[in-house]
Amino acid sequence: MLNLRKIAAILAGKLIAALSRMAGNQGTNLPGKIALEIYPQLLHELGQNIEKDIFLVTGTNGKTTTANMIAEIFKASGNTYVHNQAGANMLPGITTALLEHTDITGQKKLDYAVLETDEANVPLVIAEIKPRMILITNFFRDQLDRYGELDSTINLIKKSVSNTEIELLLNADDPLQLTFQASSSTKYWHYGLDVTNYDSFNGSESREGRYCILCGQELEYTRYHYSQLGKYHCPQCDIINPAPDFLATDLHLENGIDMQIDSMSITSPFQGLHNAYNILAAVSLAKLAGIEEEFIQSAIANYQPTAGRMEKFKILGKKVVLVLVKNPTGLNQSLATLVQDPAVKNLFIALNDNAADGRDISWIWDADVEVISSDQAHINQIICSGKRSGDMAVRIKYSGFEPAPIVVKPSLEEGIESAIRRESEACYILCTYTALFASRKILLRMQKKYPELEPERKKAPGKML
Amino acid sequence: MEKFIIAHMYPDLMNLYGDRGNLLCLQKRMEWYGLNCEIKNISLHEDLEFSQFDMIFMGGGSDREQNLVCGHLLKRTDQLMKLIESGLPALFICGAYQMLGSYYKAQDGNVIDGLGIFPFHTECRQGRLIGNILIETEINGRKTSVVGFENHGGRTYFTDPIIKSLGKVIKGYGNNGEDKTEGLIYKNLIGTYLHGPLLPKNPVLADFFIHNMTDRKGIKLNRVLDDTIEKIAHEQVKNKILAE
Ligand SMILES: [Zn+2]
Repeated sequence: MLNLRKIAAILAGKLIAALSRMAGNQGTNLPGKIALEIYPQLLHELGQNIEKDIFLVTGTNGKTTTANMIAEIFKASGNTYVHNQAGANMLPGITTALLEHTDITGQKKLDYAVLETDEANVPLVIAEIKPRMILITNFFRDQLDRYGELDSTINLIKKSVSNTEIELLLNADDPLQLTFQASSSTKYWHYGLDVTNYDSFNGSESREGRYCILCGQELEYTRYHYSQLGKYHCPQCDIINPAPDFLATDLHLENGIDMQIDSMSITSPFQGLHNAYNILAAVSLAKLAGIEEEFIQSAIANYQPTAGRMEKFKILGKKVVLVLVKNPTGLNQSLATLVQDPAVKNLFIALNDNAADGRDISWIWDADVEVISSDQAHINQIICSGKRSGDMAVRIKYSGFEPAPIVVKPSLEEGIESAIRRESEACYILCTYTALFASRKILLRMQKKYPELEPERKKAPGKML
Repeated sequence: MEKFIIAHMYPDLMNLYGDRGNLLCLQKRMEWYGLNCEIKNISLHEDLEFSQFDMIFMGGGSDREQNLVCGHLLKRTDQLMKLIESGLPALFICGAYQMLGSYYKAQDGNVIDGLGIFPFHTECRQGRLIGNILIETEINGRKTSVVGFENHGGRTYFTDPIIKSLGKVIKGYGNNGEDKTEGLIYKNLIGTYLHGPLLPKNPVLADFFIHNMTDRKGIKLNRVLDDTIEKIAHEQVKNKILAE
């Protein structure tokens, strides 16, 4: 028998999604929200249309990139899947994704679901749909999160998976994920990095996970990969990193990412150590899902970064890289990636303080901006933009960077033009959330208009015959 | 070169909202003035001896952390009071500021004793006071605007008119969201809810502390720093707040 209420909910959701797309909005939450109001069991029932496995991807940073990579692998291997859009990672957004991928009666079957899920929403989502596995990228505290909210979020996730058959795929290098060790009812897998050439041996960055989550003692590290991810042990309870089931070795970051994951060679156009982790996590999950290696390799090799995740442009013959930054860890990673790039570059940073960026911009002082002054950074000029360009310029000045080449241009358009036109081999465009899409539009337009160095500039005046 | 030591009290526990920016600011400016400044991190395991410091800085933390810290500080409160009285520069932000008063009443009604150095108390109520804030203050006889960001559940009330607020709230909440006062200034000590962080975009306040430190050592600063970028940031936030 047809369930009319369910059909009404799906229709309403699909209609709202179509309308908001026509209006040029991303509108990824509203359709799911309305549909759930009409038919609260909708998510639960749509979840039953997934024939093979449902995977949740959660953690503080990297979940969008990791989930996208998993989706690419499923696509390359010829599986059907549903995957929610970047940022639409709470209950309504996940519902939207599922209802957009179903037919009007809500019966259409798919092989997999890859659902990027906000950390705090994990218990809510698994109350509705039963995933086979939850992949956790990492847990970092950000500035709004120093009242122990992260610890309680981790505990809630732990509680919601205990006494279930849900498997966990965990980061062996993240000491905060040791919390899950104690829950014996769960099956877990670990991925981790071997020693790399990019490790550091001291704790200059703000290392938030540096206390043992089991006994409270300060952890000792023999290496840091980045932030609190590394090779640690607790001097009190003797706990060390779990042995990885999936180990990445021979990591090279000079030209994209190259590494070996167990017996498989992996190459990716992405950049930076944090993306090596995202790839490692995605590949580990794909292996556990039983996808053949050739599909995994080709999907990762062909997958290009999307908006704001180290997306590359070519303007005036220069490499221009667009990066989203939203918290100190993200800014640290972006700056570390920039320093690893040997090109001489200009740096553009747009800092906004709209609600979606976070009204409080004090987090820029928790990032280790000081790396831009190192000799390997090769930065010619820094252009600060956005509504809080002044604050960003002050942060740069107090990092010890010579004040002369710091330019303040609140307008994104002028700032980006100026960063690209000034002398350099490459440009890094760092943006907070609300500056990202506007900046991307400007870059796309410039790329179309002047992909190569302008001919007028090549021609010396007076040489015309 | 004359050496100065600034104590960063409990950076592991009391470190919210970019507090380290205030220290980075002091350290860099002192370097630009030709002075040598060392930041000394003080932890709970250390014996406190305040007389070795040229300035004290403490940032915000959660209730649990404030309790731990308060217990440790209580042992040396008498020495701290004497030094504040004799003009020791000190900056206390958010939770650290609240701790200088007689008590803090949490939302569940629990009363946590403060250090009792100044006659004020704080009560935590529902609804955090969050947002950009602009105040007007007077530093060394000169009117000046101060900008920052506040985020606190506590409402602070002075119980004796003998103490003076740091300034008047032009936009924002301040001490309690009612009486248009913000913070506390006493000799060379400032307590405030403003972070953002405070000193980098209010260089007048940063120099207030630096001049107090050098005066106490009998050093005269002749150099004037170029604050063009700081002023751009200050004006940008100020205009934004006034337009909100
Ligand atoms: Zn331990």
